Amino acid sequence: MDSLQIFLGILSPAVLLVIFFGVLIGIIVGAIPGLNGAIGISLLLPITFTMEPQIGLLLLGGIYMGGMYGGSITAILLNVPGDVVAAPAAMEGYPLTRQGRSKEALYYSIFSSMFGGIIGVLILIFFPPPLARFALQFGPAEMFFIALSGLVVIGALGGNIYKSLFAVFFGLFISTIGVDAITASQRFTLGNINLRSGISVVPVVLGLFCLAEMFLNIGKKSSEVVTYKEQDIKRMTVIKDIMRHKMLVIKGSLIGTFVGLLPGVGTTLAVFLSYGEAKRVSKKPEDFENGNVEGIIAAESANNATVGSTMVPLLALGVPGSPTTAIIAGALIIHGIILGPSLFVQRPDVAYTFIFGMLLTVVAMTLIGAFGIKYFAYILKIKMEYIVPTVLVFTLFGAYSLRNNVFDVLIAIILGVLGAVFKKTGVPLAPIIIGVVLGGLIETNLVRSMTIAGARQISLLQYMLTNPLAIGLLALVCVIFYVVIKMRVKTQ
Amino acid sequence: MKKKLILLLAVTLMFSLVAIGCNDNGGDGDVYPNGTIEIIVPYSAGGGGDTVARILADALSDELDAQINVINREGAGGELGIAEIAASEADGYTLGVFGYPDNFVLEHTRDTDFTFDDLEYLGAFDDMPMGIFAGPGSDFETIEDIVAYGQENPGSIAIGESGALGLLHVLAFSDHLGIETTPVNYEGGGELMNAILGGHVDLASTSSMSHDPIKDGGGHPIGFAAAERMDMFPDVPTFKELGYDLEMGVSRVLVAPAGLPEEIRDVLTEALDNIGNDPELKERFENAALPYRYLDYNDVNEVLERSNNTLAPVIERNSERFQ
Repeated sequence: MDSLQIFLGILSPAVLLVIFFGVLIGIIVGAIPGLNGAIGISLLLPITFTMEPQIGLLLLGGIYMGGMYGGSITAILLNVPGDVVAAPAAMEGYPLTRQGRSKEALYYSIFSSMFGGIIGVLILIFFPPPLARFALQFGPAEMFFIALSGLVVIGALGGNIYKSLFAVFFGLFISTIGVDAITASQRFTLGNINLRSGISVVPVVLGLFCLAEMFLNIGKKSSEVVTYKEQDIKRMTVIKDIMRHKMLVIKGSLIGTFVGLLPGVGTTLAVFLSYGEAKRVSKKPEDFENGNVEGIIAAESANNATVGSTMVPLLALGVPGSPTTAIIAGALIIHGIILGPSLFVQRPDVAYTFIFGMLLTVVAMTLIGAFGIKYFAYILKIKMEYIVPTVLVFTLFGAYSLRNNVFDVLIAIILGVLGAVFKKTGVPLAPIIIGVVLGGLIETNLVRSMTIAGARQISLLQYMLTNPLAIGLLALVCVIFYVVIKMRVKTQ
Repeated sequence: MKKKLILLLAVTLMFSLVAIGCNDNGGDGDVYPNGTIEIIVPYSAGGGGDTVARILADALSDELDAQINVINREGAGGELGIAEIAASEADGYTLGVFGYPDNFVLEHTRDTDFTFDDLEYLGAFDDMPMGIFAGPGSDFETIEDIVAYGQENPGSIAIGESGALGLLHVLAFSDHLGIETTPVNYEGGGELMNAILGGHVDLASTSSMSHDPIKDGGGHPIGFAAAERMDMFPDVPTFKELGYDLEMGVSRVLVAPAGLPEEIRDVLTEALDNIGNDPELKERFENAALPYRYLDYNDVNEVLERSNNTLAPVIERNSERFQ
């Protein structure tokens, strides 16, 4: 099969249709709190078994791409992030909505997602083997420092320092619940079987962000929450402004790409690293959390950039680094397609149709996003007494559908109540999420480092600091720490 | 008013969607099956166990002329889902698919709510041996290299593993070779692959399914804990050939809660025999890189019993590892 045939194959109506519907489904599941791209993909996985492999893959790829964007719609309009990775979009976008600038926020979100998505997919097209080899360099020590850098970034997020510290320790505490994978001892499981596998981040986010917001909205009228006097803004104005912030877009996309390459790290870290960096370089850091579009640009370009890069180790090495890519790998395996370098030789039609088709998922996402915005904004006209029950139902349903487990619903409700209390008392929510995400990563990689150092009969420090890459990452952690302290001192 | 009505409709629709998600199964007619059958998979979508469940659900649904839904109920290394299968009603409308010996290992290393006998084993469909792999540029070419190095440097070979069986296999492997090694736990197959290909651990203990990606990445297999050489990988020796009597692997089984009425069990085992001996099912498994081996009701119970007897002493000897 030559390249022209592959190219024409991508532009066939069936492929275009599948891409369009995949992205649309992705945006919808992304926007619904509790559902996300990964759940959308696992729901539609069985359908792909009957499709040609490349078409099935593009359906899943489209959901993945759309899902990364969709969460920001509800985040911006309702302060209810549809997905974890949209939390910064809620932090910056919702204040804009309250000022009657929701369309502007939505345009920033979709166009930043577009740039991030394209950069991520281009990297997938051009650099898989070298980047996959680079990702392999990251052993336990390197992963430990990466996770640590995410923890240090929390300092840049703002808020009262003691409340932030409380929040991050609370998040880290949640991450310790469950059976410790290394020694198999039970921690804070209270003898409950459901707590043994720990508390995953999704019900925590649903509780803290979505349920808490709705609990606080009960009894309010929409007009008390947002002023619906929508200011109009031209798409080109936003695109031009994003172009002015091209360093933010590039940095966000590269952070997203980099974090996406690493197995088991997850997009949440990328989003907050990028967001923290945007705040650091901002001329108006005091505007953050009051509706600064720079935060939206950084976070939204980062999360869509991870879509391309998480597939790099999958396609180049056959190593699925995230739950979503593991499901995509499953979709290929059932078609008898073995992942890894031989994929490009044995099934070039599948491999190339897929990676070039991913560019079209970005196009579809941009079209749906940019032209759908005036319809999305109608959500704001809906009365609060309809929004609250709707979001509550979807959120509880989403918590359940994560593992088809009622226990996760309970966790979400408990954290919803706590979240409402935190919001009222000014405890920031983002550090809790970062703590939950990074706690396990930091611990398992530290213990792995200790185990391997023990086997090699060297000290932990010796093991962690032999590789130049690890030393470089430690230096990075120190630099971020220094910058955060300086920022804090300046604002005091 | 009209707007309100539409909204009300939308909300109602949503609730009913949720309700559909929780629809009840089980029929009231006399002839089984007369209603939707659920197959619970205690792992997330996309893995080997999930793939097996979906292929089986598809074939069985045609054979029984019934709707069959696969439900992923992951968590705690399969413990949550298996407990749920064991606790559900033995009416033939809730079945389960998982990789034996996950249930046996969990039962003997944790305080689980189920025992081996809480399930009725209806058939087994594949036989995927565990193996030991070396990464790119490793000094370990053969099993002798490992024994020699391990005897000289006790505990210094770091072996990556994931899942309950991964650790058990490392321990049994080290037992048989008479050496001391250090198991390093990874959360999933993807992370483990990264560790072995990146040279962060010396060896990896994983199933034969990882053979191709590891080989593609520049690593090589040392051997498989299989009874005989695999058709898919005729060049890889078994540990038996190498002089170590170690057999360990995953076999995906279809189970029901114990206490299944005999007439329902007969319907199911007969249907399984029909699809199990059909070359089409074999082809579908092999397309998905799953080594096919059908064991019928009698065989599966005999094989699992034998396997339990070999696993129990290994778990017993290493009980402090699982505390």
